[in-house]
Amino acid sequence: MAVNAKNITNDEFFYGHKACAGCGGSLVVRQALKVLGPKTVCALPAGCMSAVGFNFPQLCFANNAMITPFAATAAVLGGIRAGLRAQGLDPAEYQVVGFAGDGGTADIGLQALSGAIDRNDDIIYICYDNEAYMNTGIQKSSLTPFGAKTTTTPAGRNAHGCLTNKKSLFEVVAAHGIPYAATASIGYLNDFIRKVERASQIRGTKYIHVIAPCPTGWGHGVDATVDIAKDVVDCGLWYLAEYEGEQVCGRTGGKFTLNRNPKEFTSVERYLRSQGRFRALTDEEVALVQAGRDAKWEQMRRDWA
Amino acid sequence: MIEVLWHGRGGQGAFTAARLLGAACSFADGRYALAFPSFGPERRGAPMRAFTKFGTAPIGDRSAVEQADYVIYLDETLLAPGWEQELKPGGRVLVNTKRVFADERLVGIDADGIASELLGRPIPNTVFLGALAALCPQVSADDAKEAVRQYMAPKLHERNVAVIDHVVATAGEWAQARGADVVEEPEASGADLSPQDACPDAPERRIPTLRSGDLDPAVYARTTCWDGGYLVSRNAGWRQVRPVVDAAACTGCLVCYMQCPDGTVYKRRDAQAGESPVGIDLDFCKGCGICARCCKFGAIRMVNEVAALAEERAAQEGAGR
Amino acid sequence: MKRFLSGDEAFAEGVRLARPQVISAYPITPQTVVVERLSEMVEDGSLDAEYLHVESEHTALSAAMGASATGVRTFTATSSQGLLYMAEVLTYAAGGRFPIVMMNANRATALPWNIYGDQRDSLALLDHGWIQAYAEDNQEALDLALMSFAIAEDPRVSTPFMVNLDGFALTHTYEAIDVPTQEQADAFLPPYVTTNKFDFQNPVNMGYSAGPEFNPYYKYYEHLDMNAAAEVIDQAETAFAQVMGRSYPGMIEAVDCDDADVVLVTLGSITGLARFVAADLRERGAKVGVLKIRYMRPFPGDMIASALEGAKAVGVLEKDVSFGAEGTVFTNVCSALQQAGLAVPAVNFVGGLGGSNISAAQMHGMFAALQERADGQDMKRVQFLGIDSVADELGGDFAQEDAGSAPGDADSEGEVR
Repeated sequence: MAVNAKNITNDEFFYGHKACAGCGGSLVVRQALKVLGPKTVCALPAGCMSAVGFNFPQLCFANNAMITPFAATAAVLGGIRAGLRAQGLDPAEYQVVGFAGDGGTADIGLQALSGAIDRNDDIIYICYDNEAYMNTGIQKSSLTPFGAKTTTTPAGRNAHGCLTNKKSLFEVVAAHGIPYAATASIGYLNDFIRKVERASQIRGTKYIHVIAPCPTGWGHGVDATVDIAKDVVDCGLWYLAEYEGEQVCGRTGGKFTLNRNPKEFTSVERYLRSQGRFRALTDEEVALVQAGRDAKWEQMRRDWA
Repeated sequence: MIEVLWHGRGGQGAFTAARLLGAACSFADGRYALAFPSFGPERRGAPMRAFTKFGTAPIGDRSAVEQADYVIYLDETLLAPGWEQELKPGGRVLVNTKRVFADERLVGIDADGIASELLGRPIPNTVFLGALAALCPQVSADDAKEAVRQYMAPKLHERNVAVIDHVVATAGEWAQARGADVVEEPEASGADLSPQDACPDAPERRIPTLRSGDLDPAVYARTTCWDGGYLVSRNAGWRQVRPVVDAAACTGCLVCYMQCPDGTVYKRRDAQAGESPVGIDLDFCKGCGICARCCKFGAIRMVNEVAALAEERAAQEGAGR
Repeated sequence: MKRFLSGDEAFAEGVRLARPQVISAYPITPQTVVVERLSEMVEDGSLDAEYLHVESEHTALSAAMGASATGVRTFTATSSQGLLYMAEVLTYAAGGRFPIVMMNANRATALPWNIYGDQRDSLALLDHGWIQAYAEDNQEALDLALMSFAIAEDPRVSTPFMVNLDGFALTHTYEAIDVPTQEQADAFLPPYVTTNKFDFQNPVNMGYSAGPEFNPYYKYYEHLDMNAAAEVIDQAETAFAQVMGRSYPGMIEAVDCDDADVVLVTLGSITGLARFVAADLRERGAKVGVLKIRYMRPFPGDMIASALEGAKAVGVLEKDVSFGAEGTVFTNVCSALQQAGLAVPAVNFVGGLGGSNISAAQMHGMFAALQERADGQDMKRVQFLGIDSVADELGGDFAQEDAGSAPGDADSEGEVR
């Protein structure tokens, strides 16, 4: 039976942490661990969730957990899995999961992630994407979207925030032929939970890319985190999709699925204007973002739907 | 050397105030100052400290201020018994509050009120810059205003200068005010209780646990391997508002339970008719308000923490009688 | 069993006998043969281990750390730039007290790019919290492969261990060695048992952060327990001798130092040549000695000072220099002398950089230079062999007669070396 609000465990594995009020990333960690259960080993690189999650003697993980070097989330996960396997522990029973941010995944940790997928290490890699280096105080990563103000892409007279577009890491990962990859958003929690559960049932490397707003870095109310995460999906700037590799779906080259394909999007402008980080965008730039959205959806509907 | 210790919450501007004060106190030749924040893993909303040291000789000691001439609370919920241990003899404590204290070392000033009126937002930090200019002979109001002009964004200059002028002009009123208020012990609930014990109506569950007791380095420091879910501090002090569940309106849909980033909403065990199906662990709730916002039935409202504490105390006293 | 093996092959045999459960390594010259042999052993079933084909050295050590955190015996190997690329992870593994064993093939560091042997890679990382041992020959390399696990995994130590083999001079040089039987190896090295691991009954958090209030204690115990390794090394060597019939002399080996006027301090494979030349000089009546440092961390400073007590001049020969200062081994030795109150003059011979040869003539020259220094002759404190060292000129006379001689004693079973 699918995990839902009624039957999800009462256990809390991530508790007492020092994340900002309204932190989206901590909701990702909390819910994923509830789905995966007590026999899970998790690893987290230097970043928000490790900084707020285990600072001795305040150790907020009720399950086995470990810190990793910044670039080494997938590497340590692979090592943990190898160690468990060497001791004969069944990967279907003992999950190994990593939680890394967008910078730790798409930038400094990308090589190790690619290596783990190449080896097909039996791990779940969850990227909680808050679209900048938040632990160090909001600097641009390669997953920061166009137009977002960060402390290294300031909005001033000459530039209105980040000048580059968000890397499509989901597709980069899928191109490896990974058994399972998915995008998600904490605005659609049930979908995210379903994908974590699905990942736990597939052997080999699994990757889930989940949007997790950061009120501090995005400039929205601390109570708006989940709503904003829903809005980014509803307005089409993020999408809920899955990729199943050949070994899972049986189709050569694997298969993409769009989990949500709305007839109409909500307003991109309203989404952008609801956050302080996009405050400097002109109407023309907002139109550019919207055009980018439309182009992406055209491709996804053509290739994935 | 004059030492100032600022208490605030991440995001309240305590360090900005510390910095402006340091700037104000080092404009003149032969005047020296240091300003620095405390660095910790805690995030926005968590209690934090900042420091300003200034005087007429270069300052070599860059360590945190342990006893200050002025201790400032930008948030009155941070003022707790034991406050006097941070105070040098003859020092003053300035608190952002409407209260009027009995102890003459404590000075209450309604900084949120003043800021709301003059800035349009309750950002209390420059109120205390003005207050120090009024109380501390080594801080001049002109220098404080110059610090605002040099180190704040231009659009903020006029109103913050007005704040300083107002606070200095009204010093006679707020600085001498005496009343009956005292600093009370915080609520005793949950002291040394684990999240499980503190929420007796929660279901049996695996959850990180509050512990106390001495930590022996010979035991803990030989590896980086320690009990998972070992907690030594709560997060209640982060909160300025708290969720209150209206049992009559709550349908038990559990959306709030699912969306809480801190896991502090729990399903109540054996909730009776007329009781809410969910409870909230107020030891760890940070008051983000996601639960109130996501509730389609309007069953959760966020109430002011100070008022809620006062209400709780009144209720306890009532029950005591 | 006697076999004719290169240093890399010998080390791989030692690793096989140690039964690691997880191996994670990335190839780099001149370490490559080790990972090739280990891959073959895993493939043919003679080694029952998980072998992780990683995409970098950073991942090699990170994965080893993750595996070690599950409580299994882990091994990795690298060299030079690879070691430097994983440098960040060295401090993680050491601070986490994961007793990973790593073989490092000592190799020059870029630029200029160079694949040949010197010791600038590992000596640059002395402060990263790893035990560091240096092998003189392939037998010692294999034996260190076994002993390193025993020492690193001892609960009193619980510290990662780097075994250094000179690139090419050991890694790619073949010699006859005794390979212990699996029964002997098992008798010496028990399975790894630790509490520093995940626990599914009582879950743990590992490798967390610790602020200013706690951090110094972790560093204090890292230091204490590294020092405690000194005693554990002695015990491991005693146990090793009982099983294998082959013994080692502790963290240093002092050759004829007791009555020596001049002593040359060495590290690694160059010791073989130093022994040979010193023996030759002894025959001619010169009172010379050789002090071989086997462990750079923990540093046996007291032992070194004690061995050098009677010397009138001390030389330190090393394949390393810390630019703008002096060789790092020299700095460490001088510190030991100073702490012991020994005012003996010391000279630093920097040689073998980028794989350059150190000849027997130069070795003679170094002893001759030290004799002059003992007699009161002033000379440069830091000298580069072959460039500005007085040893080059002083050793010239020996160039001819030493040609063709081979250092080292390959068949050394039962001897104290």
